[in-house]
Amino acid sequence: MSTIIQTTNLTKKYGEQVSVHRLNMTVKKGEIYGFLGRNGAGKTTTIKMLLGLTKPTEGEIELFGETLLRNKKRLLTRIGAIVETPGFYENLTARENLLINARIIGIHKKRAVEEALETVGLEKETKKLVGKYSLGMKQRLGIARALLHEPELLILDEPTNGLDPIGIKEMRKLIISLAQERNITILISSHILFEVEQLAHRIGIIHKGELLEELDMDKLHTLNKKHIEFLVSDESKAAYILEEKLGISRYQVHEDGIIRVYSHLYEQHLINKELVLGNVDVFQMKLSEDHLEDYFINLVGGGTIG
Amino acid sequence: MFFISLLGAVAAPFITFVSTLVKQHKFSDQTFLFKAFFTDVNFYILMLIGVPIYGVITTYLFNREYAERTLKNLLTIPVSKVNLVFSKLLLLLLWILTLTLVSFLTATIFGFIANLDDFSIAVWLRSLKEFITGGLLLFSLSTPIILVTLLIRNYVASIIVTIMITMVNVMIYGSEYSALYPWSAVEVITTGHFFKQYAAFLSYMSIFATSILCLILALFYFQRKDVQ
Repeated sequence: MSTIIQTTNLTKKYGEQVSVHRLNMTVKKGEIYGFLGRNGAGKTTTIKMLLGLTKPTEGEIELFGETLLRNKKRLLTRIGAIVETPGFYENLTARENLLINARIIGIHKKRAVEEALETVGLEKETKKLVGKYSLGMKQRLGIARALLHEPELLILDEPTNGLDPIGIKEMRKLIISLAQERNITILISSHILFEVEQLAHRIGIIHKGELLEELDMDKLHTLNKKHIEFLVSDESKAAYILEEKLGISRYQVHEDGIIRVYSHLYEQHLINKELVLGNVDVFQMKLSEDHLEDYFINLVGGGTIG
Repeated sequence: MFFISLLGAVAAPFITFVSTLVKQHKFSDQTFLFKAFFTDVNFYILMLIGVPIYGVITTYLFNREYAERTLKNLLTIPVSKVNLVFSKLLLLLLWILTLTLVSFLTATIFGFIANLDDFSIAVWLRSLKEFITGGLLLFSLSTPIILVTLLIRNYVASIIVTIMITMVNVMIYGSEYSALYPWSAVEVITTGHFFKQYAAFLSYMSIFATSILCLILALFYFQRKDVQ
């Protein structure tokens, strides 16, 4: 599979502050790449460098096998993008906004605007000015604009920001269909891990400007550990019982009475019995698997609001 | 915004019209000529009203992509930053010329309403030439406002700068220094009232040096600036 995005030691500094540090990212053709990180991790800065909106301090960017610096104008015509909240001329309708874009790009196909609006479900909004659109509608219109020229690569910076649960689900379905039906390579940045877990083939995790890890979702699933999850009345007492009475050391105590035991997976009944005998109430017990969120938190740490 | 600017274009002819009516009433034995009327309207435009109005229009055009957050979209199409600036300059030129013509035609109409004397096609065409010359020269002096807009991205800063420019115009009007100060040099060139202390080419140099220098600085800054 060929490489669509390749960065080499990509770095961005603002004075003394390092926003992105020696980032080496690879996005392959046809895949959905989830670019994950906390707020302020460097996701949007990286995306802006990929699109030539921000100049890197150091490093190189290759798109479609060519250097961005030397071939920017030609390469950008193959990319559609949403960076942060999409902006529009709010005194115009969706169709008028897209027509302006189509003219600037030089699109001659007559139905290009209509097809783009149909793809995102905005074809019926003929008279409403964009200034009256909800955030979700603007996000969808942003995708319509990004698709107008039938790009090979779609870069979406937090496309589900501000959307309600139904909007998020619709956006997810749209992204998956774009990748499957049109074979578009998609780079999607997000801090909503559950959503990315549903659609990405590969993920890259960035933290404080550094790409900590890149891995396939299949490998992630094998790494994510199966465990028994207990909801108990007293996690400290439960931890003591696990160690002293059962000799179990592979466990994790979480907040709100949750304990995860990573061994003895088929001896749940014995563990439950010992906990109850030790006067620890067990409210819930289930066999489960770590999610991307757990992997992410283990990798980047927590403790602060980001 | 365009229709509001049309009101601004009518302001100078209207003020001059009212002033003429008052004078006609006060000095009923005097003759009031079209030529003088056109000169007075152009004076108000070039020295007082034009700079703030054209400054606001300039800021509106160059700030719009920031205000509506469409700059990222345009640059990723891609539209080059240089093309963007020159496209907006072209639109600004058309806008200023339109307002200049509206002012001139309005002045013509008011002149007839005030029953002024000495109208002829020669006077009319010569005055039109002065209006357009003034408009073009003021357009060339929009580049400092473009630079301020790109630097600060704020209407308030541009308005303050245009007010300061206008105040200096008023302060030095009539003195020989008005031939060197770019914005008052526009009026000196348009009316042909040069000062013997300073050759005419210095007035032209003052305007074009300011215009070109600020354009270069604006382009340089815009090219280097990362999109936030």
